This record gives sequence, structure tokens and C-alpha cells, in this order.
Amino acid sequence: MPDYETVLLRNVGVEGSRTIDVYRSRGGYRGVEKALKQMADDEVVEEVKRANLRGRGGAGFPAGVKWGFLPKDRERTLLCVNADESEPPTFCNRVLMEHDPHQVIEGIIIAGFATRAQVAYVYMRVEFHEQFHIMQVAIDEAYAAGLLGKNILGSGYDLEVYVHRGAGAYVCGEETALIESIEGKRGCPRIKPPFPAIEGLFRRPTVVNNIETLANLPHIIERGADWFLGIGTANSAGPKLFCVCGPVNRPGCYEAPMTITCEELIMGDRFGQGMSGNASVQAVFPGGTSMGVLKADEVHMKMDFDDPRNFGLLGLGTAAAVVVGDKTDMRDVLRNMARFYALESCGQCTQCREGTNWMYRIASRIASGAGRIEDLDLLEEVAGRMGMMPGLSICGLPDGATFPVRGIVRKFRSELEEHIRGQEPAGAERVLSVLN
Amino acid sequence: MAKITIDEKVIECRDGVPVLQAAIEAGWDIPHYCYHPGLSVTASCRLCLMEMQLPHPKTGEMGWVPKLFPSCQTPVRDGMIVRFDSEVVRDNQKSCMEYFLIDHPLDCPVCDQAGECYLQDYSQKFGNSKSRMVEQKLVGPKKDIGPKTYLYSDRCVMCTRCVRFTEEISGTHELCSVNRGARREIDVFPGMPLDNPIQGNVVDVCPVGSLLDKDFFFKQRVWFLSGTPSVCPGCSTGCAIRVDQNENTVFRLKPRSNPGVNDWWMCDEGRFGFKYIHDEKRLTAPTVRRGADTEEVRWDDVPEIVSFRFEQHVAKHGDDSVAVVLSPMMSCEEAWLLVKFIRGIAPAATAVTGFVPTVGEAQHFPVGCDAENVKFTILPEKCPNRRGVELIAERAGGETCGFDEFVKRATSGAFSAAWIVGGYPEAWVPKEMTKVVKQLETLVVQDIFANTLTAAASLVLPACAWVERDGSFMNHAGKVQPFERAIRVRDGAKRDGQYLFEISGHVGLYSGDHVREMMADEMKEFANIGDAPPKPVHQH
Repeated sequence: MPDYETVLLRNVGVEGSRTIDVYRSRGGYRGVEKALKQMADDEVVEEVKRANLRGRGGAGFPAGVKWGFLPKDRERTLLCVNADESEPPTFCNRVLMEHDPHQVIEGIIIAGFATRAQVAYVYMRVEFHEQFHIMQVAIDEAYAAGLLGKNILGSGYDLEVYVHRGAGAYVCGEETALIESIEGKRGCPRIKPPFPAIEGLFRRPTVVNNIETLANLPHIIERGADWFLGIGTANSAGPKLFCVCGPVNRPGCYEAPMTITCEELIMGDRFGQGMSGNASVQAVFPGGTSMGVLKADEVHMKMDFDDPRNFGLLGLGTAAAVVVGDKTDMRDVLRNMARFYALESCGQCTQCREGTNWMYRIASRIASGAGRIEDLDLLEEVAGRMGMMPGLSICGLPDGATFPVRGIVRKFRSELEEHIRGQEPAGAERVLSVLN
Repeated sequence: MAKITIDEKVIECRDGVPVLQAAIEAGWDIPHYCYHPGLSVTASCRLCLMEMQLPHPKTGEMGWVPKLFPSCQTPVRDGMIVRFDSEVVRDNQKSCMEYFLIDHPLDCPVCDQAGECYLQDYSQKFGNSKSRMVEQKLVGPKKDIGPKTYLYSDRCVMCTRCVRFTEEISGTHELCSVNRGARREIDVFPGMPLDNPIQGNVVDVCPVGSLLDKDFFFKQRVWFLSGTPSVCPGCSTGCAIRVDQNENTVFRLKPRSNPGVNDWWMCDEGRFGFKYIHDEKRLTAPTVRRGADTEEVRWDDVPEIVSFRFEQHVAKHGDDSVAVVLSPMMSCEEAWLLVKFIRGIAPAATAVTGFVPTVGEAQHFPVGCDAENVKFTILPEKCPNRRGVELIAERAGGETCGFDEFVKRATSGAFSAAWIVGGYPEAWVPKEMTKVVKQLETLVVQDIFANTLTAAASLVLPACAWVERDGSFMNHAGKVQPFERAIRVRDGAKRDGQYLFEISGHVGLYSGDHVREMMADEMKEFANIGDAPPKPVHQH
């Protein structure tokens, strides 16, 4: 795609891109001026709806539709900006905040204006130390320039922005857990209904949007929904950030329309530039680990909102691909995946609390060379029972725990069975007799 | 009333309640842990999930949705169609029950909860006989979380009822959950043990054997206990309780659901305040004074002795010299029989409302809440039936007075004969009574423990604790609540109601219900007591 015009990452690598002056000199804050001075808030919502801007945080829910759920007669709306970005190999938001914080702030102002929010909270994961300071400096600059605070650009619209730092929990990326965490409580997802749009943060109508979603807003407002719809496909419109990591030559965050395939992301010259050394692809987790896994012969999957489902994945997720090389033992990958979700389950719902840890213990035993063939069936069933049917749990974390584990067991069953057959005979029996 | 369909049966239910509550009230046994009607809904145990029919988004046709809904979180709507009797629902219950036992130590043989444990019951009814879990179990710590409670976190199902209780009912916030995932456990904050006046309820709300009462710890297997519905005599709130006894020994008191009075709760003072009933120093036999000595008499002779003494006295000093002190520890029926008996002999006798022990001020929970949000109250009046005896004294006609007034008048010699009823668990006789006693020629004392009054009495009748009697108490709000007899009286003793029944000239066995029917003719307050308790009820 030599003719692709970089949109979201256009300021990356420009000297002083973090400062408001450089951002402005490169066309920044024009979207805000247009929105606040020439448009009504509902017009902004309509434009975003028309652009079919789907949430970039993982679920892909249309942002405009989400805003439409807010009660019409609301008095005080709050905006939460999800910068928790805790999905294992994902770092798109981080790149945006590090290199172009003002683009994010511009998005926040437009979203706040459209939803009539008076206060926005940027919920940032605690590990983002540097990014926190960068964002805070940029927010201070924006206040000084009259872009935040009272009567922004003389339009009569007020917006306060606070950066709230989390305490290190994956589940706080879930919108209701994020809300609980901002309220100062334990970060556990809330039961719905009421949905945040009706009763969210501090029991007020609340919108939770991802950083990358918001970063798209200035461009949609400035260039119009039609321009946005011209990128990618109708159902997966607009620019998207992709991450690629693992044994590739050039791991990193890249921007592309959602027409690229997973293979291009790994092999393409503008992207991962192929596998490093003489490694070859064994498996790819194309959407953050929670979406599931692709085998080497499935990497032609399109990185859009629809195609992943054809490959047994949960969805596009964060579009961050982890490549697993052929030298890696899939038993270790399995164990690692199960471990992450066992540690990060908040512990409210039974299926998730007990199931994730059970899966981790089975996977650890398999990885330690004491697996049994029937463990694979058990693992698949335990994983299946956590995500058997919608509604089993309060939030989506158990689904995210299920897909990688079940995906590995299903798609790499022959490899796993080979390992189990090749391990020391009677090893499993010995380990189990010690345990029981 | 909403009409909903559960498993193809149409039921009527109260508006606004969760489907789970409606189903329980209609007789379904739906497994659940985190739901408790007195606490907020967290919908986290995921055991009560159900299927529901919703209109199809495109055609509008009603049909089963391929999704499970927590029945505890879904309020009933008129015309709603749900089902629990389906394969996916049962599958979910089965897998949940397997999950709950993954890290459970399966130590039922040494667990106090065994026998009344909802892990046992639900495992048997909804679970599996075998676990496929072969890994090493995570072993949660056993913790001493307060002066009255242990927490065995290895048995916990993480329903967080206890945490919500300390947040929403006691308002003291001692409990919290710490750590994540399977390592999540209930804990207290450092240096802040679980110690509030109603903390015992966390043991009751715990559906499993995780929270344990130190007072009941390893005391008794629960299947040896039999429970009797009763009313707590600890204060004038009048909490509905259950007395759990085995072989005439009371082991514990548990609250019963009683909307509007104590809901599902009771205070620790009431819960642990029954120990005096097994005190060795209790009086068990009637005694008469013969000069400086006392002598036991047969119960059969008591009616005659009492009548004779009072008749003689009235003949000598006139009937306005008699006072009857009705203790607020008495049941309404006993007070009524006694006042009837005395007035029968001495029509102008003064009916006195006895000593009302009062400690401090009313304690409202949650701590520091507004008046309209009070969930539970411990009242300063440490007796169950002040209003009842006052009402009976008043309705009996004739002169009535309070205890202080009685002491004043008796000291100045207004009375020369009295029947004084005590029955308090603690020493109660005020100092001024020594002067009163000197003025009384005839004194019948009915009390649990020996004291200065019994020492001076011409006739001492042993009183029984409330668990040995039956009758009713009227609480501070005027609600009459019947209680049943839980244990037999001590050897040699006789139920207060029984000897008062006999003294009054009745023949046969005393029964609170029977006497209450007689009273109801005069006092409509006592008609139709003991009807079915109002909803909501809840098994655990």
C-alpha cells in the first residue's frame, strides 16, 4: 500500500511532536475549532455515527451508537477515556500518547463536546509512568491555550480533564471495572443493567471510549465521514493501528486500513518485515492474546472486524499480533496464556475465578511434562464451560481466557499430543500420585 | 401482583422482586449463594442463571434467547417467561458446583456447617459425585478475624454476603476481599477486627462453613439440634429467633426472617445472652419461710398456700394494701393470669409494671445512617414485654403504677402484701428494695436467681427462662409475637404459666395459645396472633 496516507501516526517521528505548537503547525486542533464553532453537539454525534467509527478498544462497538444511548434529558455527563491498554502485546495507545498527546486531547474535547460531558477522566494504567507525564504536560499546555477549562475557544463549552492512574489490573480495561476503579473501589466489573450510559461513574451517565477511538475523531470532523468511509471497508472503516511483536524483524506499531491481512502485518515491508533469523511462523495471536490463535496456514486472515470470526477467533480485539516462532514449545505458550488470565481474573464470578486457575494448573502440568491425553479434552471442556454461552459471567474476561486456551488445544492438538506421547513414560502418573 | 411463567407454570408474585425471590417463594429450589434478600445484588456466584424468552429483534416473536440471565438480578415483569428446567441451566449448575469444590478441602467431618451447608445440599442436588480436578489444591488460610468469629477461607465460595453485610447493614466496613482470581479471599483490615454489636449475622449469612461462630465452635453436630421458633427477650425490639437445642441444652440462637421487626438479623447481645438458662445457681423448687428457715413445699400445695396467705391478708389489712409487680420478662399470658388471680382476691390491688432494665441509648444500624435508612436497631430497654404488661395492667382496670412509684409508695408503707415477679438474667434488685421488703408482711417472689427479695420472701416460686415457657411478648412497637417452648423445665421446677394457671383455678395443662384465646375476648390485640409470617422468607 504505497499510496496509504498515514493519519493517526502522521506526527510520529516529527521533532517536538508532543508540543502544542508543533501539533498546531501540522494542522492540529482544526477539528475542535470546526466542531465547537460550526457544529451542534448532535451533529457531531451524527457525523461519527455516519462514519461508522467502531471502538478500537477491542469490542468494535460503534462509538456514535454508544453515545446515542445517553439519556436525552441528562444534566451531567462524564467521559472516561480508556488508556488502560492492558491486553498483553498491545501498545497502540501508548504510541499515540507518547508521540502525539495533543491528537488524543483533541479527540477528548470533541467527544466531550458531542456527549455534553463536563469532566473527562483519562484512566491510565499504572505502568505508564512516562506517558502519564507526557499526557499531563500536554493537558497543561491545552489548558494554557484555552483548549480545556472554561469556555473553550469562546464557544461556551467547558471541559475539565483529569488523568487517573490505575493500580495494575488487566480487568480495569473493562469499562465498568474502570469506572469502579476511578471511584476508588476495587476494580471489579459491575453488573449490567444499569449500563454506564444511563448510570456509570458516580451514578451519572457515562461514556467510556478508547484512546485510539478518540484519536480518530479530529480527522472525521475535519475531513468528514465520507473520507473516513473511503478507507478500508464499509464495515471496518477508517485507519487502524496494528501492533506486531515476537520473532519478527521489525516489531512495532503500524497504521494501515483494515484491509491488510495478518500475513502482510508480519511479512510486509512497511510492517514486520518477515521473521527474524531462520524462524518460521508457528502460530499467531492476531488480536491481543484474548481473541484466540491462528495456525501458520491461517495467516491470510484479514485484520478487520468480521474475518476473525471465520477462523474461530472472538474478534479483531486490539489488532496486536504476537507471532510464535516454530522453535517455541506450544505447551509453554498454552501455560503462559492460561497463567495470565488466572492471575488477572478479578475473582467475582465462579466460572472465571475457578476455571482460569484450574486451566492454568492443568496447562502447567502439561508444560512440566506430566500431561495426559485426556487433559486436553478436560482443558477444552473447562475452557468451554467458562464461555459456553453468553451471560455466564459479569464481564468478558472469561471469554478472553477461553479463546486462546481452547484455540491452542484445538488447533495444535497434534503437536501437544506428540509432546505428551514423547514425555517420560508414567511421568504423569508419578506426579499425580504425589499430588493426590 | 405480576404474573410470570416459570418452567411452564404460571405463578403470581410480588411486584419488583427478582425472579429468583419469586421462584423461591413459589416453592422452587433454585441454587444460589450470593443472593440474599436483605443485601444488595452482586450476581457473582452465577449459580441461579436461567433462560428467558424475549421478543426477536427483527420479527418481534417471543422465543428463548441463547443466553443465560442471572435470576437474582432480573426483576419480574408481568408476562415474563423463564425456565430453570433446561439442559443449559442444569449444565451451568453442574459446572458451577464442580468449580466451587475445586479448592475446597472437603473437610465436612470436622466442619461445623456440615448438615446445614449449602455446598453439601447443592452438590448433592445439582452437582456431581466426582471431581475431575487432580491438581494440587490452593489452600486458603484459616484466620481469627475477631473476638467472636473465625474465617476458614479455604471453604469460602466468595459470595461476599459477609462483606456486604458489614457494608450495608452494620455499616462498620470491617470485611473486604483481597487478592484476585482463585486467590481472592475475605479478610479484615489490619488492626480492625470484625467486632461490632451485630457481627454474629455474618456467620448466618455465610452459606457455607467459612465463617464460624467461636461460641458454637465444635460444640455440636447440627443434625442433633432441633429448632424451636421463639422471640429474643434481650431487648424490646423482639427479634424472631430460633432456639437450637439438643437434649434440653440450648446451643445457639439464630435469627428468623421477620420483616419489619428484625428482617433477617439479630444482635450479639441477644445471640449470646442465653447462657444464664443453664446456670447451676437457678432456683428450682418453691420454698416457704418458717421463721428464720426456709422449707421446700410440694407444688401441689402452692395454690392453697398462696390463696390462703392473700385471703388472710386482705381480711386483715383490706384489699388496697396488695400490689402485684408484673415483670416485663413475663409473657403476656402469665401477666394476665397473675393479675386476674390477684384481683380475684383483692379487687383494689395495684398492678405495677415491674423493673425495666435500661442500658444506654438505642443503637441504630448501619452505623451513622439517617433515620429513614435504619436497617436494624438494638433498643435500650433490656426486656421483651414492657408494653405487654403495661397494657395488661391497664386493661385489668383498677389502679396501676410504674416501678419507681411502687418503690416510693411501698417504702412509705402503702402496701403490706405483694407478689413480685423478677425473671431477669442479671442481678436486678435495687437497693431501695431492702426498705420496701421491711414493710411487706406477705411477700411472694417469683424469680430465677436468689437475691435479697427471695431471702425476705414468705413464698419463693422459681421462675423459668423464656425457652422453657410459651406465650407471647409485645415489642416496643406493639406487635404481639408468640414464642414456643424449646426445652423442658429443670427437674423440680414448673412452668410459670402452668402454676399461674392452676392458682387461677384452671384445670389441665397451660398453653399460651389457649390462654391467648381467653384474653382475646377482652383484648383484641391478642386475637389472631401466630398467623403465617409475612413474606419475604428465605431459607439461607
